[in-house]
Amino acid sequence: MPSAASSPSRKWASRLFLSDYFVLYLSLAYVAILAPFLPTLLNPANISNVLSNLWPLLVVATGQTFILATAGIDLSQGAVIAVTSVIGAMLIAVTGNAAVLSNAPIWGVFIGEQGGILAGSIGGIAVAIAIMMLVAILIGLLNGVSVAVFGMPAFMVTLVTMIVIGAVAIYLSLSENISNLPDAFVTLGKGDLVSVYFGAQDESKIPRKIIYSFVTYPMVIAVAVAVAAHYLLNRTVFGRQVVAVGSNKRNAEVSGIPVRRVIVAVFVISAVCAAIGSILYSARLEAGRPTLGAGTFLLDVIGATVIGGTSLFGGKAKIIWTFFGVLFFVLLSNTLNLMNLSAFQVDMVKGAVILAAALLDVLRTRLTRELT
Amino acid sequence: MGDLLAFEGLSKSWFGVPAVSDLTLAMRENSLLGVIGQNGAGKSTLMNMIGGIVEPTSGRMRWKGADYEPKSAADASEAGIAFIHQELNLFTNLTVAENLYIDGFPRKFGMIDWATINERTRHILGRLALDVEPSVNVGHLSPGERQLVEIARALHNEAELVIFDEPTTSLTPRETERLFETIATLRGEGRSIVYISHILSDVKKLSDDVAVLRDGKLVDQGPASDFSIARMIRSMIGRDLGGQFPERSNTPTTSAILSARSLSQPGVLQDVSIAVNRGEILGLFGLMGAGRSELARVIFGLDPHETGEIEIDGKPLAGGPRERIAAGLAFVTEDRRAEGLMLEAPIAENLALVSIDRFGKKPFMLVDRERVAEETEAMKDNLSIKAGNIARQPAKALSGGNQQKVVIGKWQMQSPKLFILDEPTRGVDVGAKYEIYTLIDRIAATGGGILMISSELEELLGMADRIVVMNRGEVVGEVGRDEFDRETILSMAFREVIA
Amino acid sequence: MTRSMDKISDFVFRNATYLIFAGVLIYYGIQAPSFLTPESLVNIVKQASFTGIAAVGMTFVLLTAGIDLSVGSVMFLAPLMAGYVMRDLGMPVPVAVVAAVLTGVVLGSINAILIVRLRVIPFITTLATLFLFRGFGTWLTSSQQFDFPDEIRAFGLSGVFGIPTPIIVFTAVALVAHLVLAHTEFGRQVYAFGNSPEGARKAGLKVGWIQARVYIICSACAALSGFMLIAQIGRLDAAFGEGAEFDVIAAAVLGGASLFGGIGSAFGAVIGATLIQTVKLGLVFTGVNLYLQPIIQGVIIFIAVLVDGMREKQVLAKMKRTIRPL
Repeated sequence: MPSAASSPSRKWASRLFLSDYFVLYLSLAYVAILAPFLPTLLNPANISNVLSNLWPLLVVATGQTFILATAGIDLSQGAVIAVTSVIGAMLIAVTGNAAVLSNAPIWGVFIGEQGGILAGSIGGIAVAIAIMMLVAILIGLLNGVSVAVFGMPAFMVTLVTMIVIGAVAIYLSLSENISNLPDAFVTLGKGDLVSVYFGAQDESKIPRKIIYSFVTYPMVIAVAVAVAAHYLLNRTVFGRQVVAVGSNKRNAEVSGIPVRRVIVAVFVISAVCAAIGSILYSARLEAGRPTLGAGTFLLDVIGATVIGGTSLFGGKAKIIWTFFGVLFFVLLSNTLNLMNLSAFQVDMVKGAVILAAALLDVLRTRLTRELT
Repeated sequence: MGDLLAFEGLSKSWFGVPAVSDLTLAMRENSLLGVIGQNGAGKSTLMNMIGGIVEPTSGRMRWKGADYEPKSAADASEAGIAFIHQELNLFTNLTVAENLYIDGFPRKFGMIDWATINERTRHILGRLALDVEPSVNVGHLSPGERQLVEIARALHNEAELVIFDEPTTSLTPRETERLFETIATLRGEGRSIVYISHILSDVKKLSDDVAVLRDGKLVDQGPASDFSIARMIRSMIGRDLGGQFPERSNTPTTSAILSARSLSQPGVLQDVSIAVNRGEILGLFGLMGAGRSELARVIFGLDPHETGEIEIDGKPLAGGPRERIAAGLAFVTEDRRAEGLMLEAPIAENLALVSIDRFGKKPFMLVDRERVAEETEAMKDNLSIKAGNIARQPAKALSGGNQQKVVIGKWQMQSPKLFILDEPTRGVDVGAKYEIYTLIDRIAATGGGILMISSELEELLGMADRIVVMNRGEVVGEVGRDEFDRETILSMAFREVIA
Repeated sequence: MTRSMDKISDFVFRNATYLIFAGVLIYYGIQAPSFLTPESLVNIVKQASFTGIAAVGMTFVLLTAGIDLSVGSVMFLAPLMAGYVMRDLGMPVPVAVVAAVLTGVVLGSINAILIVRLRVIPFITTLATLFLFRGFGTWLTSSQQFDFPDEIRAFGLSGVFGIPTPIIVFTAVALVAHLVLAHTEFGRQVYAFGNSPEGARKAGLKVGWIQARVYIICSACAALSGFMLIAQIGRLDAAFGEGAEFDVIAAAVLGGASLFGGIGSAFGAVIGATLIQTVKLGLVFTGVNLYLQPIIQGVIIFIAVLVDGMREKQVLAKMKRTIRPL
């Protein structure tokens, strides 16, 4: 028998490393260490800012978690965000800007001077959102079927959908933003349910900018998605099937798990989560933007998920890990911004953190091996 | 002197369980040593120690009189020892010549000297009477040709000792004949050979000396001329059959649960019909590569078949494993680690996997975790799986026997009508074997049907009510319990179908 | 009968890219005959050479069933180092080229150490170094555009006997890579490793060293590719090479390199890169909407990947043991 309980301190360390909450502890420790040097870090304004960055990313990363749980990868999430953003916006924009959009293929078909074809109609926003979801589902189906039925590698399939769907998004509006979205939609991205005022009580008229929103619509939506996803992945029959496929695909097949159906389903979930993220991002920007989710966004999503502890090799995934991973990632970006580092230096630190997370994972695997 | 390879008190144990213990044996130069033993007797561990893949726990090896301590496969090959494994170790995307020279190409101006390589390869292939071009991709060769390429690789490395591990399993009769000729050629060149096989008649025919391993120990050895097949079998099994198997309590009926009729699949199965009755343990015997596992995979819907039908309780089966599980089939595959378990996942999750649908609570199909915990815990007790906290402990932490019980348990959770057990006791120690036999008996006693596949004939003789023998994808015979006779069954299994 | 059918499907699978290529050329030739003039063809190859050089390097990595996502950042950082060598040390272009390639070797070594020594999987390693290398580069430039001395453009736009320098470099890289892959021990061992890492270990090959070298070669090629492209433009902005990894991987895969390892060739990467460029320029020639071009390219890559997946299935089916004569 290997001596696992060799020293108490070692045992304690492995407990800490292997805990579900490890990344949360790491985030808290990070804040505790940096707070004295960055007084703005714990300002209500900054916390509110961190939160507003946290929620949309959480939704998207939640979708990616399902994919990684089956040992797949979805590079097309960013493109889904872009295309659904444009589609949603072109349907509901209150007015259309001819100077910008008149050459776009959607002009005169879905959007004109008087706005998108659903603008102003009753339930128009709901219909538009339903259409965004439908588009996402179709893309997810395309990815899932290619991977599950045709045996194509997820990396290449979603790389291609990323290129094609991303190009479609840009083509639709000829890379222009579609602005003038209705207020009801914009509220989804920044509207608040509970705000906190930190000033003196006797003030009767509070200027808008010193009210800090904490319980916002994005928060409600993101938490709802994450909680639902948590139950779906960790508590339902479907979730067990997802993990079984990721743990050992051949075993899952022999055990009667509908492997293909599960793989198609996770790609659809991933795309739908991206579309929900797209609503939050577009609403916050008050525009449909075809370049949303481009660049290194996707690497942020995968990086945050992996840092949380979800394995790229499948079978090991929890939404709560993803939540902590996203929290850590957002905190990191935020603090680096507060330190007045350039965007690219932020990238460099991100790279180092991804690497550290991977090394940590190697270490964790070794520790688990020792413990059993 | 004159000993080529010698073992002195060689031992290897895994986590305290001995795989080879205190083995002392020597082989003469230019001789052919036949090594036999049941699965798990320690043959592969011994070979892995010679090949530098596994390090001995204690004892030592001597090669040509000097200490021999290989640290890697390269060390063994440098010393002049070559392996022909059952699973060939060739690169299918490379040519024959490249496969021979992959660990060291002759060069000219830094580039590979193709002319020399092709010429030398042609020469070596000529010695083996293998008529293929050196520039042909190995992927295009037949299994027999590939094996000769592997032998050619050993020749090119000027190996003095060539170790064959079950070399004939995927060969046609003609190819087998050719292999034996090649072995004779090798011996004519002064090389020594270790020949490991389950095919005892081959071992007797080819060997100068025979060594028998059982439970990691050398239990019998001597000149091949002193060995009869009967003595080989006796030494391999080594104990009376009585104590090995539990008292049988099932009563086979004549009403079929499973019936498969005229199953054919080109290259795999030819007109196979088989039926398993309620309360019956049907043994399926055959050599490796006889088509036993292939038949099981076809019945379970994992592999296709072109013609024939399969019925459960008179209802035709269709679809994949999922539909067949619903119809009452269960399949314990031969490769436990690759197809039977989620090694990293907790034992309880493994146990609940097949029957997970049953634990879903409507409307959201949330898993009823309390019931899962209850039922998996009950299954653990029922099968006496030796584990601590099954909700946390991963399956990989269990011993082979207990892992196998988990695999059987996950199917038991679904109360299937018919169990297909493919090599259910492979890599399982003697004690756990007995428990698994008891379990099998219990399933049959409660009216279940069992199709038990095994390469260990003794196991089937001890457990089966009826034995069906397969040979090269065909059913070649069937024997009832009162007519069980080792000779008859083995002769059916060994008889070569004229192709 | 079945054998000859097998051979035909084998041929189609193996040469899918060439068949698609021929189809594309014929199609454009009919649509716009001027597309097939020598000037136009030379231009295609020239434009293809930048992605092509990197794709040749990527092929080494893909042959081992690995992946290198950091090439885009190497394409940025390596020419930058060469730029410093030229501007601040006053070195001539040849020294700068060497500096760029050496930088590539160093960056590739970093990837190799992480993958081989620390056993971090290639995907994560190169994802991290993608950020690290670019971050380091922009830290050096403070996100400013970096202007190269004028000689570099003179070099980039030069040619020999009317053949543009990028094409000459591309040809040289492809030839050397072909010789290495097809005619050296290391090259053949790369194929062996990709076919079966376990088998390679058992055969006594130095698998760690094989794996390390492919990442070094890949980065060196990416560095050279970046330098050649900069030599056309004469300046380096902060976003240079961003997302290039995907173009490079797509070109290599299109050229027949399998993501599962063991299959692919330097020549294939040349074809893949050239095919992508042909499609791109052909779309311009035939006046297809600029915005639709990536969509069509994507579809063509999709077909190539689909064929790759089917080829892999075919290989697996072949490997399945038959236990009785067919």
